[in-house]
Amino acid sequence: MPDGVVITGLGTLGAAGAGAQGLAVDLAAGMHRATAIEPAPDGGGPVLASQVPTLDLSPWVPASLARRMSRPSRFAVAAGVMALHSAGLDVASGGPSLGVSMASTFGPLGYTQRILDQIRADGPAAASPALFTECVVNAPASQLSIVAGAGGPCTTVSGREAGPLLATARGCNDLVEGRATTVLVGACDEVTPLQVDVLSRLGALAVLPPGGSSGPLPFDRRRTGFLLAEGATFLALEPAGQAERRGALPIARIRAWGSAFDATATRVGWGRGWTALARGLSDCLARAGISPADIGLVVSGASGARAGDWLEARVLRAVWRDATPPPIVAPKAVTGEYGGGFLAAAVLALRGGIAATPGFQVDPEIGLHPSALEGPPKGCVLVTSCASGGSASWLVLEGS
Amino acid sequence: MTRPARPAVAVTGIGAVSAWGWGVEPLWAGLSSGATAIAGFDRFDHGGYPTHRAAQVPASGATEEATPRRPRGACLAERFALAAAHEALRMAGFGDDLSGERAGVYFSSSTGGMFEAEQYYLALRAGERPDLRLVASHTVTVPGDAVARRFGVAGPVETTSSACASGALALESALAAVRRGDVSLALAGGSDSLCRTTFGGFNALRSVAETPCLPFRQERTGLSLGEGAGVLVLEAVDAARARGRQPLAILAGAGSAGDAHHMTAPHPRGDGAARAVDAALDNAGIDASGIDFVNAHGTGTPLNDLAEWQALSRVFGRRASRLPLTSTKASIGHLLGSAGSIEAVATVLCLQHGAVHPCAGAGEIDPRTPVDLVRHQPRRLGRSCCALSLNLGFGGCNGALVLAAADRES
Repeated sequence: MPDGVVITGLGTLGAAGAGAQGLAVDLAAGMHRATAIEPAPDGGGPVLASQVPTLDLSPWVPASLARRMSRPSRFAVAAGVMALHSAGLDVASGGPSLGVSMASTFGPLGYTQRILDQIRADGPAAASPALFTECVVNAPASQLSIVAGAGGPCTTVSGREAGPLLATARGCNDLVEGRATTVLVGACDEVTPLQVDVLSRLGALAVLPPGGSSGPLPFDRRRTGFLLAEGATFLALEPAGQAERRGALPIARIRAWGSAFDATATRVGWGRGWTALARGLSDCLARAGISPADIGLVVSGASGARAGDWLEARVLRAVWRDATPPPIVAPKAVTGEYGGGFLAAAVLALRGGIAATPGFQVDPEIGLHPSALEGPPKGCVLVTSCASGGSASWLVLEGS
Repeated sequence: MTRPARPAVAVTGIGAVSAWGWGVEPLWAGLSSGATAIAGFDRFDHGGYPTHRAAQVPASGATEEATPRRPRGACLAERFALAAAHEALRMAGFGDDLSGERAGVYFSSSTGGMFEAEQYYLALRAGERPDLRLVASHTVTVPGDAVARRFGVAGPVETTSSACASGALALESALAAVRRGDVSLALAGGSDSLCRTTFGGFNALRSVAETPCLPFRQERTGLSLGEGAGVLVLEAVDAARARGRQPLAILAGAGSAGDAHHMTAPHPRGDGAARAVDAALDNAGIDASGIDFVNAHGTGTPLNDLAEWQALSRVFGRRASRLPLTSTKASIGHLLGSAGSIEAVATVLCLQHGAVHPCAGAGEIDPRTPVDLVRHQPRRLGRSCCALSLNLGFGGCNGALVLAAADRES
């Protein structure tokens, strides 16, 4: 595609509320909004998660439709419609050339739990068809496609923590290869007590003091895990020429996208295969004609996961070799993991305004120190994600 | 009108696990017999459910025994995926270590390790502290990731979970990746197991037939669920020939589109499905007249078969009722997210054997869906045939594949 792919709209919903403004304020302050999960996991103390507060979503999701949707579907539709509004595109008139490409790690897990509760309590005949409809992983993307009238490809991908960037890459390929002329790309997940139970038992979650006085500590020597989060983010992508012809102002240009896999990973953890991942990232940059020296900022997917952050750092060091890596920000200290907040933060990073972790302590095994980002970065922005289970994906953005 | 063709990609290996057994050999034997593997099952206690039939994979089989270094505690979907992938790679002439290849995995699943995760959750709710390994495989990425880890894949690995269209969409992604040169070798497939959530959910929708499903028959009352995996090895035709391998078939094109209509009901005029087929034909560089048979989504639900017929009518016109058509689901059930994958394998087998496998089950064809259903025994094909494989999914996701006989390379 000679004129490239641009981002013309952004919609996001998370603990900071609806819209990018609240998230931007939190990123600049370095403040997460994690609250205690109710009910707390059995036998443990309070667990914090970055949860979507009670919000009036009616500006984006008609009540008549919302009542039939799971929470993730309401999140996705709200964020997707916000993205369309942000891009200056009409809702419901998408047509066959509007596609949706969304990532989810857990799908509408809450409704799946409820169906199993029904089966357990009252027998299989009690399973609700309305709940089942919303159990499928692709329910949020499909609900968005229905509301937006999107008749193009409607794809849900899963890649755990790498999912949002994989979905974005899928959408970019749909545009470049002519399967759609506009694509809503994004991610969506919800927090449920079952996830908290399992992730707590796996030792994956950050141990955070109540009251939010400190958050997860990406790359920090003291990191104990990631902050679980929920919400949805969607970006509207279109060819640069199309955006220009209709007078839309791009938020950013997507210069490159790619992914690779670390076969040394475990089913639920990270491996030590940084060489393969670094090769994948280097190939992704090279195919786009970008050298590491062109990267002015790394928006890292480091989340505070001990093994994940270590692997992420190794990959970056392997790509930059003897050169000093560019400044790195780690916005999952604010957004948490899952729910698309990271994707929104990566786009917002093009404007600057991301705080550093107060009192950061360098991990000598990592040797990276996320910095504050005050103004817009110079050069390209590399967005990275290394997922548990082995996947890794990347985007390169450029301010418009 | 002939549109410009895009580079053709060869299928050089296939693998399958189905209710007929572990391997493509039992799959083809079962499909070509015209019988159904949908029967009583014991994957879980279904005593309280309204229906009692499904297509369950046998406990073990030759291709699983032949798969070295199976991971401990693998969930069913992982076991199916690994066995099918191993079989496909062997057939394609690859070893167990793909770390030296530019390989990628493009997988599909609706349920992942849901069967095992259900056991975890129900035990948890009963006040127990269940083994975490039961839930470690919960996410839908698990089968594809397991294949990538087992065979040392270092390239892109992605899992598509767009309901019943997932398998076709995963193959679409794999095809595009090989054509772009992102990978030289793609392992494309899907894996799903039976579980209480889907069995209960489809029963709650009153979508499950009490007897084995009867696609396009007047008496059809619903679908039959199944489990298993299908995997295809894809590579550029030139690359395959350079390795001394002959294609089993050509994956000539793929397409997808959304209905944007309803979460469970397909578009009544088959709108999204028709556009997915048009996109696949365009991607393959052929007209509708180039298709010689159809492997339909063919679930046997009243609405799906009707919508699918509408779509086929729109694409093929009057020829739709003269095009040989089958549905693999009548034989091995509906594998949900991996249906498109195993049905693509079945379609390759048809092309390889030069015959369309029959659609199992008796009954009169519904006059509202006047398809030329292949019945009772395989129907011979001419040379250089081309097939359409179509899948429609919850939420209005539609995927279509065009597969051609190996001698149809151009």
